Amino acid sequence: MTEIISEDQLLTEFAVREHRSLWLDAWRRLISNRTAILGLVIVAIFLLTAIGAHFFWEYDPTVDLDYNAKLLAPTFVRSEESDQLHIFGTDKLGRDIFRRVVHGGWNSLRVGIIAVSISLSIGGILGLLAGFFESTHLNGVEQAVLTSLLGLGCGALPAWIANQPFQALLFMLLGLGSALFSTFMAQSPYLRKVLFGVIGMAIGGLLGLLVAPLVGLVCAVVGLGIGIILAKPISGKAFSSFTMRVMDIILSFPSYLLAIAIVAFLGPGLEKGMLAIGFVGIPVYARLARSAVLSVSQKEYVLASQSIGESHGRILFRHIVPNILSPIIVQATMGLADAILSAAALGFLGLGAVPPIPEWGAMLGDSYKYLSSGAWWAVLFPGLAIMFSVLGFNLLGDGLRDALDPKMRL
Amino acid sequence: MTANTLSQQSINSPLLRVSNLQTRFHTQDGVVHAVNGISYHLDSGEILGVVGESGCGKSVHALSIMRLIQIPPGEIADGEIWFEGRDLLKLSENEMRHLRGRDIAMVFQDPMTSLNPVFTVGFQICEALMLHMNMTRKQARERTIELLNLVGIPEPTKRIDNYPHQFSGGMRQRAMIAMALSCEPKLLIADEPTTALDVTIQAQIIDLVMKLQKEMGMSVMWITHDLGIVAEMVHKINVMYAGFIIEEGLVDDIYDETLHPYTKGLLGSLPSIDEAPGTKLVSIPGLPPDLIALPSGCPFYARCTYRQDHCREERPVLETVNANGHAVACWRWREI
Repeated sequence: MTEIISEDQLLTEFAVREHRSLWLDAWRRLISNRTAILGLVIVAIFLLTAIGAHFFWEYDPTVDLDYNAKLLAPTFVRSEESDQLHIFGTDKLGRDIFRRVVHGGWNSLRVGIIAVSISLSIGGILGLLAGFFESTHLNGVEQAVLTSLLGLGCGALPAWIANQPFQALLFMLLGLGSALFSTFMAQSPYLRKVLFGVIGMAIGGLLGLLVAPLVGLVCAVVGLGIGIILAKPISGKAFSSFTMRVMDIILSFPSYLLAIAIVAFLGPGLEKGMLAIGFVGIPVYARLARSAVLSVSQKEYVLASQSIGESHGRILFRHIVPNILSPIIVQATMGLADAILSAAALGFLGLGAVPPIPEWGAMLGDSYKYLSSGAWWAVLFPGLAIMFSVLGFNLLGDGLRDALDPKMRL
Repeated sequence: MTANTLSQQSINSPLLRVSNLQTRFHTQDGVVHAVNGISYHLDSGEILGVVGESGCGKSVHALSIMRLIQIPPGEIADGEIWFEGRDLLKLSENEMRHLRGRDIAMVFQDPMTSLNPVFTVGFQICEALMLHMNMTRKQARERTIELLNLVGIPEPTKRIDNYPHQFSGGMRQRAMIAMALSCEPKLLIADEPTTALDVTIQAQIIDLVMKLQKEMGMSVMWITHDLGIVAEMVHKINVMYAGFIIEEGLVDDIYDETLHPYTKGLLGSLPSIDEAPGTKLVSIPGLPPDLIALPSGCPFYARCTYRQDHCREERPVLETVNANGHAVACWRWREI
């Protein structure tokens, strides 16, 4: 034995490499990639100007109006007529386009980031749970969590019909109850279904009656169905396929159309645009997270961590999540570009930011009519802003994909 | 079972007693009968070799003991696994979790994938220690350095902060062994731990496990398809075929008084250094039977050179041959 150790010790002089963490490694690969640096610089410029403008360059869009300076071409030298410099020109209300593009960046990037956060957190968690529990035997707590989630998801339908959000919470409690008392009347599953169906019908029907008789009737029928579904505590496999089928349904709508429909339903506004774009993006992250979890959980180190007696939560968050982060980071970066584009599209259609709030898409929508009268600058600069921000995030995403790809690791 | 018999059993019972273990997998093509009612026991301090070719249920039976079979599609259909007086199959998942790693530990075949690439090796060993031994991070770290030293990793104070990709295959397997031994388990299940390594490293790993086994006095179950490896290290051998134990006994009995035609075939197929160059390697013709449609007779019937009609009709059961527990499942062991 001593011989082996001494042989190895001979080797260590050149075998031990300098200690480097995985993320540091990825960062080094990222900054050695020129296009990724370009993307990083573009993104940084946009983020810094947007944040800087929001906090240090006051702008009140409601009072920004100057009919004397309508549709002025870009000027770079001070002239006699106007004492103000408009390097990007002015729009139909005489507002400085440079100022609005910079401030619009705050809104556009905010929409992008918040929308992606919404899709990432909801989609990511759903995908994570679906993938992990697909082939895992559930324990009591997990069953309670998943069945409650199912109740919440199903309950959203009658809650929406009756416009009573707490209905969804009650159905969530029904799911929780079903999981906690899973042995109650287990010998007669039929009776159990009837019992839960009746409770569900009562929740939906009675609360719906407070709104209108017809609503009460519809909610009672829906509640009955949900109760029957919830009567049997869900298995991991069933949760996974249920979640994924819902994701498939969302995906089957063209994403822009669905976002437009949601905003049309909620009413225009920046926040509602964020919600709509975020919701539409959920399935992308759910599917990505699920497939990544499925492939990682086949790895032997997951089996090894089970064999030293680690709990499900620890395995999921300590061993699986860090290993699926890289595709998700890449997708989120690319998704930011997508969300900014979607936000601009909604704004262009007048469904995003409400005028006079500056937003790139809305600025395009405001000004494209003046193209024919030669005011190209009113369209060009917001358009360029959209283009470059999207390009920046895409380049950065590409660079991250290369940097985080384990096959590229030396 | 009364309290009296239970306590009596725990006194003079073996560390591990498996009886009639049956593990199946429900697949789209049908039910795969991976382990078909095997029974054996393992005393503390004993080393058991489980041999057999690929797909004969060696690993599945080990995973069944750890209850790490995926359910579904897997199912432990029947049997009992008594470990220190408790039936593992009747424990709750939570109790089982506390037992894994602390009382029974496992080393896997492929050291390349059995360490998580995003954490340092030291972190992963510390994890087991903090989980089962209630150590603080600092204590766990010190113990981990000791363990790495014990398994022969040079400069453990530096190596503890390395990532798995900075380790060679042999070092990773050493790290896995350190992880498995961290909580001083009573039983170590080594599932082909040397198959993915080259021969010199194989020898080192075997030496290491033998040394640690002597120091710690644990039992070891060494799963392999290489009869050459187990000959020198184990006390007992179970020869598995198609999910059955077809021959079992002390290592000398198996090698010197080989009874089952399959074991004979396995031993005969070992290449010998004395053979003249150009001699063809001997192999057992054919493949193991389809585990979905098991033959009703002897599972080895199709490949056996000693077969008779009776072998096809009725499945032989393990028959004890001598006082040392040598047993064989063959109708014709007396004649051949």
